Amino acid sequence: MNTVPVTHEGNAQRLWRRFCSDSFARNGLRVVVVLFILAALAPFLANGHAIVRVADGQITFPVFRSLEPIEWRFLLYVPLAGMAYIFRRPLSRHPRRGLVVGGSFIVLVEIFLHLTHPINDPSNDRDSAASFRILPLVHYSPIETTPDQFSPPSWQHPCGTDSTGRDIAARMLHGARISLSIGFVSQGIALLIGVTMGSVAGYYRGWTDIGICRFIEIMDCFPTLLLILVVISFTGSQNNMFCIMAVIGVTNWTGAARLVRGEFLRLSAQPFTLAAKAVGASDLRIILRHLLPNSLGPILIVGTFGVASAILLESSLSFLGFGMQAPTPSWGDILSESRRYIDFAWWLAFFPGLAILVTIMSYNFVGEGLRDAVDPRLRVK
Amino acid sequence: MTTYIIRRILLLFPTLLGITLLTFLLLRLSPINPASSKGQGNEHGGKAMTAEARTQMLKLYGLDKPPLVAYAEWVGRSLRLDLGDSFVDHRPVAAKIGERIGLTVSITGCALIISYLVAIPLGIIAAIKRGQAVDRTISFVVFVLYSIPNFAAALLLILFVAGGDYLNLLPMYGINSINSSEMGRFQWLWDRVLHMILPVVCLTYGSLASISRYARVSMLEALGQDFIRTARAKGLPERLVIFRHALRNALIPIITIFALELPGLIGGTIIIESIFSLPGMGQLMFQSLDTGDYPVIMGITVLAAIITLLSYLLADILYVVVDPRISYE
Repeated sequence: MNTVPVTHEGNAQRLWRRFCSDSFARNGLRVVVVLFILAALAPFLANGHAIVRVADGQITFPVFRSLEPIEWRFLLYVPLAGMAYIFRRPLSRHPRRGLVVGGSFIVLVEIFLHLTHPINDPSNDRDSAASFRILPLVHYSPIETTPDQFSPPSWQHPCGTDSTGRDIAARMLHGARISLSIGFVSQGIALLIGVTMGSVAGYYRGWTDIGICRFIEIMDCFPTLLLILVVISFTGSQNNMFCIMAVIGVTNWTGAARLVRGEFLRLSAQPFTLAAKAVGASDLRIILRHLLPNSLGPILIVGTFGVASAILLESSLSFLGFGMQAPTPSWGDILSESRRYIDFAWWLAFFPGLAILVTIMSYNFVGEGLRDAVDPRLRVK
Repeated sequence: MTTYIIRRILLLFPTLLGITLLTFLLLRLSPINPASSKGQGNEHGGKAMTAEARTQMLKLYGLDKPPLVAYAEWVGRSLRLDLGDSFVDHRPVAAKIGERIGLTVSITGCALIISYLVAIPLGIIAAIKRGQAVDRTISFVVFVLYSIPNFAAALLLILFVAGGDYLNLLPMYGINSINSSEMGRFQWLWDRVLHMILPVVCLTYGSLASISRYARVSMLEALGQDFIRTARAKGLPERLVIFRHALRNALIPIITIFALELPGLIGGTIIIESIFSLPGMGQLMFQSLDTGDYPVIMGITVLAAIITLLSYLLADILYVVVDPRISYE
């Protein structure tokens, strides 16, 4: 009798192992993680204020003075998430206690943020007297103008400066936060809409399906940028980050919807769906507990590629002048400015272009890796 | 098959109606408005518009009617193949589109053809040398190219080869030199070609990845078929096996995706056209959005939608025509 070795490997673990066996995907994921860390630490990497400063016998941390509420929020919630991960075992035993602790922490943070005003301080302490100080890696903040305009890359300005003497490296580090978060959130919105539409169409079929399919077809027929530019005009001149995220999200969900619909059509003919129906499970339960988890792989793949295209779309929008408002740094914005000085200032186009290239490439490698891991039959490499 | 095609064509109409209705309502509800954009004259050195002139203008443009009534009128006119006149210069929309579309189609068409001509051989070489260094290099290079945003590439190409501080081989922008009217026919053509090189390159390199990957997969599929083994078994030289047996079958699916690329011919070049100052469709669309020129925007949308829908249909029909094993009956 043949014995088959029994492995206790879950679906997720198998996926992860297959994913890691692909070196491109592995390195792509590494780059994405590094980019996120760089973006998260941007105020500490590029800032005119010292991280630690010793003057007149006093130790101060000026960098914290320049932080804005959103950065404080980030600084305080990330440790919270880390703690939740470390204590996930005890937390799962006492979920209520965890909720109480986490909730009160969030309330405290929000109160603290409302009490402290953001100090948007254009000053810096590069030149002030101090017996000891540690400056961030890039000694300039992204909105700070300096007298040396158009300086090519040097030790002082690793990626050069623009027409008002702002440091490009600092702008790019801070711009990474915009690009990465827009990619993530807008794709989240797109997936939410797309998965809902797709699952309703694929599960209920009939007229619902026909209606939704027509709608998807209508959305697909618009030239993408035309649709986005019309929708963006609704937000007027106050283009903040969330408007851009929402606009990209609501105009880019059709791919996910098509895919989920297809998966649902396939899965609802499978015995396990019929069995769930036979035992009297509700529609919502079948969709959420049986069909959706089984189509998670493809959704993840579409999402990953979608993040890449959302980042590209955001930088195209900024490039056309429909992006974030003026002082907010964004990669597309730097590129857009470089247009006017393109006959000599190569660094204005090269570095942000490279940043977009690296980001999109790593996301696409991750997407490819996921595709191979989810369905090895489709493996192309 | 005929009934299938007829049914599909009949289905085009409700979709078209939906697209135009959605565009129309979106435009009417949005702050994009010819009266408001002209009324902002103050900052541009002009005079602000009086309330009276404003209402007059709204009336002139038919913007005082309820959106649905205005839409019905628009549909009525469009059915008589009259897309209306531009709000800005009062010329017929069809004429405005007509003078732009040639340029856009010539540039995107060149880009499309070149990308197929380059990508298909790349994909086929990669499939034949599956898993070897050549295969991996091709996959990697087209992937990197695919990830370069084309506006960054356009800027850097201008900087390095077209009139920046470095090489000055190609013209920086425009579609012809200033003195092109004095040129002879061949000189004019050469001038046009030089102007088109950079835009075409920027539009070409990105699509290499998807086409070459598609070609590679379908070639691999064809190479794995039984008839290839038969061909090899009967002692055919490898060259014949690949070109006569595998390649012909591999090309079937590639033909069908070609149809899906057609909608890209007239849209999707806003950025490249604006960088190179090309007077094409993308630029027209951008300007019309800027000035609130509804009739032109509607005209472009209808055209884009019709082409998109027809090319989906064409793809489905080609699918059956080139491969008789498939049928929609």
